[in-house]
Amino acid sequence: MSKGYLCMILHAHLPYVRHPEHENFLEEKWLFEAITETYMPLINAFERLVDEGVPFKITMSLSPTLISMLTDGLLQDRYHKHLNKLIELADKEAGRTYNTSFHQSALMYQNQFNHSRDTFYRYGGNLVNAFKKFQELDRLEIMTCATTHGFLPLMMNNKNAVRAQIRTAVNLHSKHLGRHPEGIWLPECAYTPGIDPILKEQGLKYFILDTHGLLFASHRPRYGVYAPIFCPSGVAAFGRDTESSKQVWSSNEGYPGDFDYREFYRDIGFDLDFEYVKPYIHPDGIRIHTGIKHYRITGKADYKEAYIPSNAREKAAIHAGNFMFNRKLQIDYISSIMDRPPIIVAPYDAELFGHWWYEGPLWLEMLMKKIHFDQNTFSMITPAEYLKRHGYNQVATPCASSWGHKGYNEVWLCAKNDWIYKHLHVASGRMVELAENLYHAAGIQVRALNQAARELMLAQSSDWAFIMNTGTMTDYAIRRTKTHLDNFIRLYYEIKENRIDEGWLNYLESKNNIFPEIDFKSYADRPVA
Amino acid sequence: MPALLPITIGIIVILILAFYLWPAIKSMQTRKPEIKKEIPLFTEEYAEELSIPVPRQTLEYVPELPRAYGMDRMALMVRDPYWLYAYWEITATKMEDITSRYGPGLWEISKPVLRVYDVTGINFNGTNANNYFDCSLGVNADDWYIKVAEANRSFCVDLGRLFPDGSFITLLRSNIVTTPRDTLSDRLDEEWMWIEGLYSKIHMGISSPLIIEEIQERMGKVPLGISSPGFHDSPVN
Repeated sequence: MSKGYLCMILHAHLPYVRHPEHENFLEEKWLFEAITETYMPLINAFERLVDEGVPFKITMSLSPTLISMLTDGLLQDRYHKHLNKLIELADKEAGRTYNTSFHQSALMYQNQFNHSRDTFYRYGGNLVNAFKKFQELDRLEIMTCATTHGFLPLMMNNKNAVRAQIRTAVNLHSKHLGRHPEGIWLPECAYTPGIDPILKEQGLKYFILDTHGLLFASHRPRYGVYAPIFCPSGVAAFGRDTESSKQVWSSNEGYPGDFDYREFYRDIGFDLDFEYVKPYIHPDGIRIHTGIKHYRITGKADYKEAYIPSNAREKAAIHAGNFMFNRKLQIDYISSIMDRPPIIVAPYDAELFGHWWYEGPLWLEMLMKKIHFDQNTFSMITPAEYLKRHGYNQVATPCASSWGHKGYNEVWLCAKNDWIYKHLHVASGRMVELAENLYHAAGIQVRALNQAARELMLAQSSDWAFIMNTGTMTDYAIRRTKTHLDNFIRLYYEIKENRIDEGWLNYLESKNNIFPEIDFKSYADRPVA
Repeated sequence: MPALLPITIGIIVILILAFYLWPAIKSMQTRKPEIKKEIPLFTEEYAEELSIPVPRQTLEYVPELPRAYGMDRMALMVRDPYWLYAYWEITATKMEDITSRYGPGLWEISKPVLRVYDVTGINFNGTNANNYFDCSLGVNADDWYIKVAEANRSFCVDLGRLFPDGSFITLLRSNIVTTPRDTLSDRLDEEWMWIEGLYSKIHMGISSPLIIEEIQERMGKVPLGISSPGFHDSPVN
């Protein structure tokens, strides 16, 4: 009988970037990198675990924008081409590095990318099917996330807008994953009281908070972060455990900074001769990350040595054992002072595993094995399972919070991005107005209304505000915000004044074609069937 | 010999045509826009949630958003336990209305001010705030960050004009917001709930004060700075 539980959560999200008008759009690379470096390795790790009969349990959230991109034909096609080129490059690298200390590393990439291509074919180009498969095998619990990852606390002046984000997400999730999601990953774990009744209305049973979101609840939680609380509305809130986060995230004490692990910033796209990498970087000649990096962190200074895959694998094994050992200690101790089994909630951005921390997926795989074979103090669990076993919980209102820098809303509300809200708020107010007045619209009006809803949601993506704050690619983020808002404003007037420009609507529908089943009526006050 | 004449005329015609068309052809070629090769701005990269490749020169059109929407409105937002943010818009109509009511001189005599009311736990009707303080504004400000003294309070803000004699007129009133807590709650009385069928709530006393102390001790100062997508101070930075 285990004394406690470990709940690992991987939050997978990318903002919606799809530019059919450009053959080779730089920002689409975000998706391709995430697929090659994070999602594929994770899927492969899960496959191996299943093959070896390891009954792991992991929770993942797949944001609707990510699901939309992974299931989009055009992007799947482009990814396929991208992967082919990557394999070509990896083959060249294997040749170029022959008899050098970089050869092992090059072979590793060759192997990895070829394996990825096989995986890609096996799932018919649709990786959501892979995640769905593990869900059906009861190994993965999949949560949803707000439709375009909007920052909900700063949207709460208009509850209908929040509701539309949740409802559209739940519908999309159900469609692609075949079942209604039990839990939702609030974007950035950003919560404010009032959000949970909306979640309840949409049939969601739990969400995740940052540590202080739970600890600073209206009534002090008896079990700290080691058990969830129920909001008065009945939706459960789980809180992040600091210790397990630190071991993985922390720059000083965390695993990813280990000197044997792969160095992110020594990519051949920047290091090697221009003519050699030219076909694999941006056609305009801008050097970018290719994903092939041959150096290890080595030390805190700039000096880097060759990456040795076998050493890194050994380190990953050691770190997996270390993490497991620490969780054992933690659970041993806490269960001795709690009158029920504690749950350690450890959420991470999925992109940490593989993209930033190359050995991450491997570490995770080894961790799952060790947890199953090397100990029996604790077991893996998902939040929904925990709630089934422990349905009696303390009631309190969580603290408004987020897992962003400083713990509240500052990252998304500061001098660099505060200007967006005066526009977003008007737009969401207008969307509600249109939905209410034109509830029974038909024909082209419905199309225009739905497109207006799309444009609004795309403008509400919290990623833009985040990027505007953090500094790189701000122009892109500003452009996306302004363009979507501008499209919305134009649609608003066209709809209101009954002069919808069908040609332009067609254009928008094909360009920003996300969420085919979006329903503008989600913005209206009346309950939608 | 006679065959030469049409040929000569033909050549002259072609030359004349070429002479006139040449500038046009030349200008067509130069009208093709150049694809600029950007030198990558790669001095800083944060290991944030997106792997951010170098931006290229974008030639795409960025629309301008309206400077105003023609609505009198004021929104109050929470940034964290000690900071609020307000933005507002006043229409010209409203300005005229105020001017006609108080006379044109009011804009010179009075100062633009944000009056921040603490309305925690009350039904605010404009006059029954727990207390309030004033924030002087910049002359053409249309938004402002407001520092408040205590966490976990509710606020409402008025945009108004403050006269030298201390009187105040309200131009716009905001919505009400509540700032979050920044510490553990003192409320230790607990309420419990079964979700299946919403079992009656049972009040429990502090049966294990030890747990709370232990947890408090272990938690120590709760590190709020654990940021999301990570590596705020990462070595890989």
